[in-house]
Amino acid sequence: MAIIQINNVSKSFGEKVALDKVSLEIPEGKIFGLLGPNGAGKTTLIRIINRITIPTAGSVFFQGRPITDEDVARIGYLPEERGLYRKMKVGDQAMYLAQLKGMKRNDALRELKAWFERFGAQDWWNKKVEELSKGMAQKFQFITTVVHKPSLMILDEPFSGFDPVNAELIRQEILRLKAEGATIILSTHNMESVEELCDEIALINKSHLVITGGVDEIRRRYGEDNVEISYSDASLQPRTLVVARPEVNAKLSELISEGVTFHGFKEVIPRMNDIFIKLVTEGV
Amino acid sequence: MDFSKLKIIIAREYLNKVKKKSFLIITFLAPVLFAGVCLLPSLIMAGAKEETKKVGVVDYTGFVADSLVDHQTVKYISLAGADLGMSPELKPDSGKLNALFDQCGADAIVALLPVDSLATQLIATAYSYKDLGMETSSLIQNDLNQAVENHRIANYERETGVNLTAAMADVRSNINLISMKVSEDGSIAVSESGVLSILSMILGMALYLFIMMFCGMVMSSVIEEKSSRVVEVLISSVKATELMFGKIIGVALVAMTQFLLWVLLTVGILAAIGAVVGFDSLFGMATADPTGMTGDMSGIAVIFSTLGTLNYGSLLVAFLLFFVFGYLLYASLYAAIGSAVESEADTQQLQMPITIPLMIGFFISIYTMKAPDSGVVFWGSMIPFTSPIVMLSRIPFDPPFWQIALSLAILIGTFVLMAWFSAKIYKVGILMFGKKSTFKDLWNWFRQKN
Repeated sequence: MAIIQINNVSKSFGEKVALDKVSLEIPEGKIFGLLGPNGAGKTTLIRIINRITIPTAGSVFFQGRPITDEDVARIGYLPEERGLYRKMKVGDQAMYLAQLKGMKRNDALRELKAWFERFGAQDWWNKKVEELSKGMAQKFQFITTVVHKPSLMILDEPFSGFDPVNAELIRQEILRLKAEGATIILSTHNMESVEELCDEIALINKSHLVITGGVDEIRRRYGEDNVEISYSDASLQPRTLVVARPEVNAKLSELISEGVTFHGFKEVIPRMNDIFIKLVTEGV
Repeated sequence: MDFSKLKIIIAREYLNKVKKKSFLIITFLAPVLFAGVCLLPSLIMAGAKEETKKVGVVDYTGFVADSLVDHQTVKYISLAGADLGMSPELKPDSGKLNALFDQCGADAIVALLPVDSLATQLIATAYSYKDLGMETSSLIQNDLNQAVENHRIANYERETGVNLTAAMADVRSNINLISMKVSEDGSIAVSESGVLSILSMILGMALYLFIMMFCGMVMSSVIEEKSSRVVEVLISSVKATELMFGKIIGVALVAMTQFLLWVLLTVGILAAIGAVVGFDSLFGMATADPTGMTGDMSGIAVIFSTLGTLNYGSLLVAFLLFFVFGYLLYASLYAAIGSAVESEADTQQLQMPITIPLMIGFFISIYTMKAPDSGVVFWGSMIPFTSPIVMLSRIPFDPPFWQIALSLAILIGTFVLMAWFSAKIYKVGILMFGKKSTFKDLWNWFRQKN
């Protein structure tokens, strides 16, 4: 079941076409990677899902019906350009944003306190945002994005600005939210985290949808069907050899006759990074 | 509109502004200032009761010095026989002058010289170490003239045998024009148009400043949200129009709070001082009978009795109504401008077309005090962009009710139109980054379908 279904969505700003007939399905309970080079139209698509921007043509469905403002209230959105009221106290601001998302005062207070505790940020409550470090502000903004238990979260570059320790913390939180049943749209340029976290992806380039599907499937599809064999030769020197799949058996018998010691044998799957570059530069 | 969210936005905007130090300082200091201004006339009057000045008179004519009459503030000393050693250019010898000052201990010495032998023309010169002040000088001048006139009348009567004093008393006229305003209900009250003019100007200026100040607040609040990028998160939770109107209403409530606190605190301070010092000594001159048509009504009594005839309740209501709708009209435009820029510095050019009508309104309102019934003022009070200021400045002159109502109706209509117009610009503008916007951009945003 798709939580979000995007049907033939186009958006143009005057002459400029930002999205051209994009159709996508974002499955419920999965982490969905939204990829694409800068200026491809990702942010426009995200804003259309959020109903910040209304598409020129096409429609967006939320759990099978046209998306409404109530649905948007159940989305948690972390924009790429982070923004907070700098002069406002952290606690006041968290309460404000949570209430704007429709939370009751008491619920908001309870949930926020719990999140602050989990992030070791209890003593931030009465500080002004401008007194927080960049990493702290990022963490705080992450909390405000997810505090209302959204069924869909749109995280635009959630790891930028974090040190490895905090990036890992956020990664774990994302996985935990997924385990609790939330759907996450992850827009990022970090292909490693795509491989690690995403179940499905969509790649947008020059306002067009280039490809969408499961991460493993896509990686296989763009693989050249090679197999990597690692072994030690007669002189005990470790070696690896990449062989096209049809020739694997012949190669193996050849190696066996040479009397080598095998260490491993694995399918060569291309990195997302390579697929990304290939699709974007070659314009497939 | 989702009113529960609108309420949350209004509350944040309001509390955020009201808790600011600058707001608290202005709110609590200004009434002290206002009270000071209200008390100023009384203080000046109190301070003006200066000590008696001694004026020595060196009378070369021989007939003036003895007939000068002392006042509470000026006491004359006849310095008969004293000589200042006048030069042919009529300059006194400074040594003799100083010696004379030492001798008689006067604050000033007046020398009275006849120009010709018959003393048909006289020259009077006052010498003093410290400036005498305008009031004392004119008092001395009057006394000198009076003394000379009395002397001449006496001479005339002696020579001709005619009782000129009685004749002059018979023909003397002392008319004091008092303006009375006739109301439609038939009541008649003292009304000094000078007082109304000043009141009209103060109202116009106050409204102009209020609109500028609070619209500026709306604009910087919009810019703050845009430049800090918090707007994108907000706009994913609420509609752009809710955000804009929440902000405008929130700041309007800040303005109301400030205004009402100013009124209450000013009245409170005046009441407190009045209770301690006594109202009579504070506003002593106001106790003159306002209906007394006697000619001896003093200027300040006229001011106070004119102020007494005003209907402050309706003045307050008019001020609030024209402030609210004038503010709303401009605030939505300022919000639209704010949405188009990323820093306050970029607002100059875009602000111009909405600042100019506001300033024109202010200038017409100054003209109102000169000619409250002129065509310019009438049209200025109807055309919506100048009307709040101009109409308010007309209120002290009691314009026909239908004109007030019409002006307000046009204003409200225009506000609705402008709010719609501004909201369309705002909606697009707040998400536009990285490029300096022009009027052409704003127009395109307005025409854009969402």
